[in-house]
Amino acid sequence: MVDYASRAAGRARRRETTDVASFVRRLDWVLIGAVAALVAYGLWSIAGITRHDVTADPHYYLTRQAVYASIGVLCLVAAVLVDPDVYRTRWRLVFGGTCFLIAIVLLTGPIRGSRRWLDLGFFRFQPSEFGKVLFVLALAGFLSERSRRLGDPRTTLRAVGLALVPIFLVFLQPDFGSALVYCAATAAVLLVAGTPWTQLAALAAGAVAIAVLVLGLLPAAGLPVLKDYQQQRLTGFLNPASDPGGTTYNITQSKNAIGAGQFHGRGPNNATQTTLNFLPEHHTDFVFASLAEERGFVGAALLLMLYLLVVWRGLRIVTLAREPFSAIVAGGLVVALLFQVFVNVGMTMGIAPITGIPLPFVSVGGSSMIANLIAVGLLLAIHVRARGARR
Amino acid sequence: MEEPYRLTPRLALRVGLLGMVAIAVFATLFLRLWSLQILNGEQLLRAAQNNQRREVRLPAPRGAILDRTGLPLVTNVPGTIVQIDQASMPKRKSIRLREIRRLARVLKMPAREIGANLIRHRNDLLTPVRIKSDVTDAQAGYLTERADDFPGVSVPVVSLRYYPHRELAAHVLGYTGDISQQQLDTLAKDGYRPGDTIGQTGVEAKYDKYLRGAPGLAIKRVDSLGRQQGSTTPLVPARPGEAVRLTVDLKLQMAAEQALRYGIERARSSGCQGCWYANGGAIVAMDPRDGSIRAMASYPTYRPSLYVGRVRQSALDAAGLTTRSAKAANFPALDRAIDAAYPPGSTFKPVTALAAMQEHILQPYEPLACTGQYTNHGQVFKNWDPFVNEAMTLTTALAQSCDTYFYQVGYRFYGMPSERGPRLQAWAHRFGFGQRTGIDLGSEITGLLPTPDWRRQTFTRKTDPGHWQIDSLWKPGDSIQLAIGQKDLLVTPLQMARFYALIANGGRLVTPHLLLDVEQASANRQAGRVIPTPPPPAPEATNVDAQALSVVREGLFEATHSSLGTSYATFGGFPIPISGKTGTAEKAIDPGDGYMHTFNQSWWCGYGPSNSPDLVVCALIENGGHGGDAAAPAALKVFEEFFHKQAAQQGAIHSD
Repeated sequence: MVDYASRAAGRARRRETTDVASFVRRLDWVLIGAVAALVAYGLWSIAGITRHDVTADPHYYLTRQAVYASIGVLCLVAAVLVDPDVYRTRWRLVFGGTCFLIAIVLLTGPIRGSRRWLDLGFFRFQPSEFGKVLFVLALAGFLSERSRRLGDPRTTLRAVGLALVPIFLVFLQPDFGSALVYCAATAAVLLVAGTPWTQLAALAAGAVAIAVLVLGLLPAAGLPVLKDYQQQRLTGFLNPASDPGGTTYNITQSKNAIGAGQFHGRGPNNATQTTLNFLPEHHTDFVFASLAEERGFVGAALLLMLYLLVVWRGLRIVTLAREPFSAIVAGGLVVALLFQVFVNVGMTMGIAPITGIPLPFVSVGGSSMIANLIAVGLLLAIHVRARGARR
Repeated sequence: MEEPYRLTPRLALRVGLLGMVAIAVFATLFLRLWSLQILNGEQLLRAAQNNQRREVRLPAPRGAILDRTGLPLVTNVPGTIVQIDQASMPKRKSIRLREIRRLARVLKMPAREIGANLIRHRNDLLTPVRIKSDVTDAQAGYLTERADDFPGVSVPVVSLRYYPHRELAAHVLGYTGDISQQQLDTLAKDGYRPGDTIGQTGVEAKYDKYLRGAPGLAIKRVDSLGRQQGSTTPLVPARPGEAVRLTVDLKLQMAAEQALRYGIERARSSGCQGCWYANGGAIVAMDPRDGSIRAMASYPTYRPSLYVGRVRQSALDAAGLTTRSAKAANFPALDRAIDAAYPPGSTFKPVTALAAMQEHILQPYEPLACTGQYTNHGQVFKNWDPFVNEAMTLTTALAQSCDTYFYQVGYRFYGMPSERGPRLQAWAHRFGFGQRTGIDLGSEITGLLPTPDWRRQTFTRKTDPGHWQIDSLWKPGDSIQLAIGQKDLLVTPLQMARFYALIANGGRLVTPHLLLDVEQASANRQAGRVIPTPPPPAPEATNVDAQALSVVREGLFEATHSSLGTSYATFGGFPIPISGKTGTAEKAIDPGDGYMHTFNQSWWCGYGPSNSPDLVVCALIENGGHGGDAAAPAALKVFEEFFHKQAAQQGAIHSD
């Protein structure tokens, strides 16, 4: 295995040195353009949204976010240079590392009621964000190893069993939103890997049954699985008028903010929902609502179009991938991104449950920004090698 | 294309499925975004704008209370206060406590006091709690500058009650305070809200509806923590409260209060039995023609300013205004003119005289023996002057206050047939005793007019197991002593003044009142408009025989002008003819040594000028000794101020 890996790495190095120009040409420049536009647009929006947050320094969040983006771009470049095959062969190591990182967070002290972060002093590292990428890599590695026995239900069950370890660890933090993203990614990975429809249907049925059990039956029987606030957040969006001052306060304020933006937006100085703090977490979880308030339908729609572009390019990469592993990774990453966008944006508009999922490339947060750029880097690496192998 | 693996229809189908999901997701998001921003944008924009609008009540300045000439008795001054909006304080208890401690250091007051105050108002988090009312400019400036360090603390300027004459007429004016929960429950429909200031006693309470005005409304913009952004936009200006003008005359009120202290001082220095305990009293001065109160004083008194702003319990304790400290300070909050009842003693004799003449059991010029004592069924009733022994007519008996004369009259009442009920009490009731006078002040007691029925109901086997068979009977002694205003009879000084007004005005029972009129606050240099108020009740006719009345008036005139009259020494030398009667009523008092002593309550009631009275005055000095010793000189001081005349040197005292 070690031998194989070193050969793969050697191959990548050779390719780099021999044909830099064609390597650059083979990058997906549309994807790069879309992501660059997203990051730049996100930074510009954050500048407006957080202008009034820190009195002494209106650029406090902007500078931090810019630093994160720069680090993220470096990581992206690194990810492009590494042949994804490296991860395939070492998927067990990747899996173990993911679980370890998520697990040690549980040993730290809670910050605002949950254990999600590793405090490195200068930076609060959130393993579950990086886990989204690593988890997909590990699962894809496992499935590509067994690509010959995909029809076997045991393969599917093992894959689900593997997936459940980090999902459960993240759930314990508690970070319910990330757990959901992991679930969505698992489903996508299985779908792209080629798991038979019957088994997928059985899994879907199982997921529905668990959801019904967790949200409805077990609490009714006196065995609550979720904490009260989690339960309310998950079901609150279905009946927003019931509790305007409590759980759904955020949603009411968020919808007011989005609606107040109307077509052209209110601009950073008149966006009272944001500047007067009626909208909580407006630079992280509810950043979309702030953006929609300040930039209006025009700005919000532009953002969604950019996401759509990224997703389209991502799905295209799935079809171009050289081998199953790359395709599965690309599928998992794209669906994870799509899911995050939908749940976050949908949450701010009251059509998805409230979970602490950041908006990719826009929400202030180093881990999320860097992890998402790494994911883009992986997609690019797959794209580069998909065409490159033939020439 | 050389890699057919990638293009298996199976994978293409699955990726296509993902693409459809992606399109569905984005379509949903776009539609929702369109619906929120374009279709419902206006409505949600309004919701977002309303979010930051808070309605603020602008407190209305309270109306002034004026005397009859328009001189201020109570006004307002602007004052800076510190208040805490509990809802805006930090949620964490430790941080909250730290803030309270810092605030306490700034305001130089114990933190525990602030905490206790907040806890008292914990069930009403919406109303700011007043922490301190007399804040220095430095403190106010410090708190305003560091508003961010003190979330929830605000330093507004409010109008505070101001009493230019300190404790003058405290019992009449009353005081204001924060509205209580019970008051809110009953008054919420009249527009009272938590945190309002409301009159608690006296005129402040009675005429609160005029004085309070109507609060205005303003809109302020706040952020999510309730901190104000920008300036406040007034919407409806506050309507200041109306000025209430009283019938009270400031100068006469001052004179009455001074006279009261003078009477008490005189009693204490007289050295009579128990007079050392003279420490309270009341004076009522009233227009006998319509019942308008010209002065009403009660002693001891208090400063209503103690209730302005933040009320300090320790200050109330020191002033004797709390339950535990009241007794030691001889109940300064008690308005002795209307809320305390005393045996009237000889000042009641005109009631007996009028009733006896009306019932035809006494002829005014029928001579009755006035002796040192009177014996009835073996029981001996003493006269205040044991050496007298002559026959007297009614006028002389009134002038010299002969007890034995009235004992005989009282026994005649006892002998009357019982079918028509107790006649003396019936007349006393018609003259206003045993019932409220109807003065426009909150509380008032009825006193006690004893009747056979009252005896039967009060002394039963249960309440008086030892002697109920005897005590429940109306005995000759009851009638005999009632005739000179002793034993069970209790009256308030105001009831007494009302009765003397009846003598003075020819038999009409007036309703005492304090309200002269209500005037709109003057604005834009325009004089205040008078607001229509219900007129005071008209005097009631009592159908007293004019003949009988004139005999009594003659007796009262002789009491102050014949050489043996009981207050001749006081009023004989006064240039304006004054008529009036002394009273020396025995009352069992515990002066604080644990034993009951019988002390004399000093009374004087009368009017002047004798032929067409303009003023009736009734003075009472608790434990003041003989009526002529303390009460009469005090009453004279009031007349001196009223008529702007000085009395000649006062002669020797010969009185009852």
